[in-house]
Amino acid sequence: MAPAAAAAAASADAAAAPEKDKSKVHKLSLKGSAKLVAEFFQYSIHTILFQRGVYPAEDFSTVKKYGLNMLVSSDDQVRAYIKKIMSQLDKWMVGGKISKLVIVITNKDTGEHVERWQFDVQIFAKPPKTKSSKSKTPSSSSTTTENTTPQQPPPPAEKTEAEIQSEIAAIFRQITASVTFLPQLAGDCTFNVLVYADADSDVPVEWGDSDAKEIAGGERVQLRGFSTASHRVDTLVSYRLAD
Amino acid sequence: MATASVSTPLKSHTGLFSSRTAGGRMPLTPSPRQRAIPINLNSSPFTPEKSSSDGQGQQRVPSKSTYGGGNLSSHLAKATAGHRASPKSNIARTVSTPRKALELGVSDFTLTGTGVHTTKSPSSSRTKKAPLRQKGPKTTLAYAADRFIPNRGASSAIANVGSGKLDFQEKQQRPKTSNSDSSSVLAAATDDALAAFEGLSLEDEEPASYSRPSPNTVAYQDSLANACGVSLNTRILQFKPAPPESSKPIDLRQQYNRPLRAATASASQFKRRVATAPERVLDAPGLIDDYYLNLLDWSSANQVAIGLERNVYVWSADEGSVSSLLETSADTYVSSVKWSGDGAYVGVGLGTGEVQIWDVAEGVKIRSMFGHDARVGVMGWNKHLLSTGARSGLVFNHDVRIAEHKIAELVSHTSEVCGLEWRSDGAQLATGGNDNLVSIWDARSLAVPKFTKTNHKAAVKALAWCPWNMNLLATGGGSYDKHIHFWNTTSGARVNSIDTGSQVTSLRWSPHYREIVSSSGFPDNSLSIWSYPTLVRNVEIPAHESRVLHSCLSPDGQMLATAAADESLKFWKIFEKKAGAGAGVGGAGASGKAEMSKQMTIR
Repeated sequence: MAPAAAAAAASADAAAAPEKDKSKVHKLSLKGSAKLVAEFFQYSIHTILFQRGVYPAEDFSTVKKYGLNMLVSSDDQVRAYIKKIMSQLDKWMVGGKISKLVIVITNKDTGEHVERWQFDVQIFAKPPKTKSSKSKTPSSSSTTTENTTPQQPPPPAEKTEAEIQSEIAAIFRQITASVTFLPQLAGDCTFNVLVYADADSDVPVEWGDSDAKEIAGGERVQLRGFSTASHRVDTLVSYRLAD
Repeated sequence: MATASVSTPLKSHTGLFSSRTAGGRMPLTPSPRQRAIPINLNSSPFTPEKSSSDGQGQQRVPSKSTYGGGNLSSHLAKATAGHRASPKSNIARTVSTPRKALELGVSDFTLTGTGVHTTKSPSSSRTKKAPLRQKGPKTTLAYAADRFIPNRGASSAIANVGSGKLDFQEKQQRPKTSNSDSSSVLAAATDDALAAFEGLSLEDEEPASYSRPSPNTVAYQDSLANACGVSLNTRILQFKPAPPESSKPIDLRQQYNRPLRAATASASQFKRRVATAPERVLDAPGLIDDYYLNLLDWSSANQVAIGLERNVYVWSADEGSVSSLLETSADTYVSSVKWSGDGAYVGVGLGTGEVQIWDVAEGVKIRSMFGHDARVGVMGWNKHLLSTGARSGLVFNHDVRIAEHKIAELVSHTSEVCGLEWRSDGAQLATGGNDNLVSIWDARSLAVPKFTKTNHKAAVKALAWCPWNMNLLATGGGSYDKHIHFWNTTSGARVNSIDTGSQVTSLRWSPHYREIVSSSGFPDNSLSIWSYPTLVRNVEIPAHESRVLHSCLSPDGQMLATAAADESLKFWKIFEKKAGAGAGVGGAGASGKAEMSKQMTIR
């Protein structure tokens, strides 16, 4: 994996010149960071599917990751499904096209959205604009920057790979712990993955426009986030409060 | 993509629509014609009529009053009708679905076209069209460049996804766009719609002005607000393929209570170390691959007897030496071997039904016992009694001391008897047969079995009496059964069962641990050690390359010998006692002997 390779390279660097400028030593490339975030998404999906009982627990097996025992589905179909999502997500992440990833859990019987896990992505360093931005939107892109700039916090101080990993581990601990306050999911549930992408993104056929699938009148709980040199990811879960 | 499909019809229909605009002059025809229109449009006269009244109703009435019957909407509507009638209408007819929607659209167009009037019209919702018109010329240009196409693509995609609010709008717009070629009026209207929609998804500068007068529906405002609230210049994309179904319903409560890793939990309870590699491997060439035979036994004198085709070999576990005890005549083979309780004699059953008793130390045959007319596949000693089970289904008890050796005939099985085991106190005898029966006999009354158990669904070869609970019998079934059943032989009740997943070829209780080992045939060819009564499988040892046929425990109860169809004899130290107490095969000969002699003195 690129992040791992980067980390290895970084540690090699560190060993070679420990007192050299730290920023360079531990900085992940934008691409590496995007991969890291995408990988985080992948494990998030698996974890949420497990924790919220979308698939039976027997289908999951443990994998060491982020210093935790992560549960990953071993069902071939589920794996293939998530893999398909991830393959596209990787591209979008590297292209810096994504502002949110949302996992919506829907009751199969009523069609009601009962839980919504939202991962907000901020990119500190915009990647060079690709040609795909085309004709269309000089005006709209200007509105984007207008809107996003004030929210954008200053890029954080450089972090080591280990710090990032521990931040991610903390999120997963929170996700796992969140089953204690999230309401019991009744009945069969299924899930959908939504992505908030830039309007100029290339969209493969499997992906189509959707509404936000917000939970009307839902409770919202902000969970932890993590950041790399180029990305910040925040986690938010909203859910329907039991009547 | 949707864009392509929509844009092409635009061009092709141009002629048609333009002709319709020409027809737009016809509208002056009186209302009765109008009635006719819906009928043409749709097979059912009612629905279109309704839609027209919905879409245009408020409008038509006022406009009529305003214009004195010269309503454009009616013109246009009629125009379409006229086309239907005309021979050229074929193409139009094929596109029947957009038609209906088209009518709706048309009503809008009329407004735009007669914009001045509409301001007067009571339907306030339409009024906002007036400002739209200003854009008319400007936007037409934009439309000529294919600027709107991506938008429309987006809108149709949304419709596909089925987000309700946008749907309605979308419907209205689509027909407009298809019409737009026909006339500048229409084009302007289209552009309105497009612009409005752009406002939705793109947040141009235009929508701001629109939002106040906002079109007909609240839905529009909603979705606009939604869109603004979510993010600007962003699309929400959904991965459309449905996620795979879960294999079974899930109750989360169960999941939360469930230990995350049951397997490891049970493994942690099972602390005893079990050697999973064989202690020793011997060749057993010519071992007959027959489930129904019993060709391996380990004596209390620590000698292993094995029948290999026509020979019986005795392997001394103490010395590691092998000697051939006997060789049968060429017309038969050894079908079973069994050591007497004191380890001095071995009973040998033959394919002919003959049973021989050999003195192993001397290496001589002591006697032959006849009576069975079919092969003797299984035998069991109870002191001086030798029970023999034959292919005929009969079990005989022989008193080996007397000339008239047959003292009892146990009739229960109707097919080959392949399992036979005396309880250690000699009070009960269990037999299993190819008729899937387990019979439990009381030694005092052998006329009928005390219990006959029919639970197994295949031949029962594996039988084992529990050493610490006299009433407990374990029985294992063959390939179609795969179960181990546990019986209370006093009450006859089945107390436990295990589905092993493979043919059970033998069962042995550990004398020291609360465990039982089963050997299996296809597909595992393994040894499994089960805890009793928890029935947890502690260890599964892949033992042989082909099915394990026979097994027996060493006299000290630590070692299991297995013979398999791969013609090997393996020794497994599966019930090893705590360190220092062990007596090994071969290597630890001296200590083994010491223990052995102790056992002898006890006896």
